[in-house]
Amino acid sequence: MSPVPLQAYLVVAGLLFAMGLFGVMTRRHAVAALLGIELMLNAANINLVAFSHYLSPNRAINTVLDGQVFVLMVIALAACEVAVGLAIILRLYRTMGVLNPDEASSMKW
Amino acid sequence: MLFGLPYTNYVEYLAFLSVAGLTLLGGLGTIVARRVFPACLWLLVCLGGVAGLYALLAGHLLMAVQILVYAGAITVLIIFAVMLLQRHTGRIIMAENQHLIGGVLAAGFMATLILVGIFTTRYQPLAFGDTPATFAGDNVKLIGHLLLTKYLLPFEVVSVVLLASMIGALVLARQEPGENPGAAEAPEAESQP
Repeated sequence: MSPVPLQAYLVVAGLLFAMGLFGVMTRRHAVAALLGIELMLNAANINLVAFSHYLSPNRAINTVLDGQVFVLMVIALAACEVAVGLAIILRLYRTMGVLNPDEASSMKW
Repeated sequence: MLFGLPYTNYVEYLAFLSVAGLTLLGGLGTIVARRVFPACLWLLVCLGGVAGLYALLAGHLLMAVQILVYAGAITVLIIFAVMLLQRHTGRIIMAENQHLIGGVLAAGFMATLILVGIFTTRYQPLAFGDTPATFAGDNVKLIGHLLLTKYLLPFEVVSVVLLASMIGALVLARQEPGENPGAAEAPEAESQP
């Protein structure tokens, strides 16, 4: 019995993280950059669940589920982050009329 | 039995390959789509794939939460914002990529670093290699129990953070009195009373 190895999940999460990084760095639209952040958060979540599923010490059920509880917290915080991020983008657009994160580099207004 | 492995393993590998492919395809579409709205739809595909990965890792509650909260709430919120911005600008906003060389270099470096780390780490032989823990059915009850005993404080703190961010988002996005919603790019439009 050889199930799917842990490394397979880690590789998927790593590639997803790199994709999210690329999106955050290259997007010309602030909302699209936010989508890249979502990809990176999901990659981290996959890692949390995979590690707790494969490598938890002493196999007690409580520690096996630790990673899943972490992921629940991360999902709640991701919802907060998206709400505040979208509000900031909207405010940025109304005040400065720009959507490209590069054009909003001024710290003083 | 097929090639010395039980059939269930082939099913597991096949399921893993399909959901992993779905995840990576959705991620790729999210970062290369030229308009924001299709990028949101590609993000939905990617989130569905991640939900499948959770299911393969015995996280049934997580799969449901992922679809309900991520795909159902967060993506819809982003799509609302995209539509609001399009109404303000009156045109479809393109989201082409810029600084392509720098982005490819940084992302490639990151991916190489992560892959090298994955394949050179010596995982402690705790549970890796033998059958992962499976306890289908009791997951939800156990997670609820954990949330109300071991993780009670983080659980409550997260709810406070959620409330604070909700109020903060309302304050940030509120229309100032006397502010014209489209004032930034159309100053000559008639001002609203």
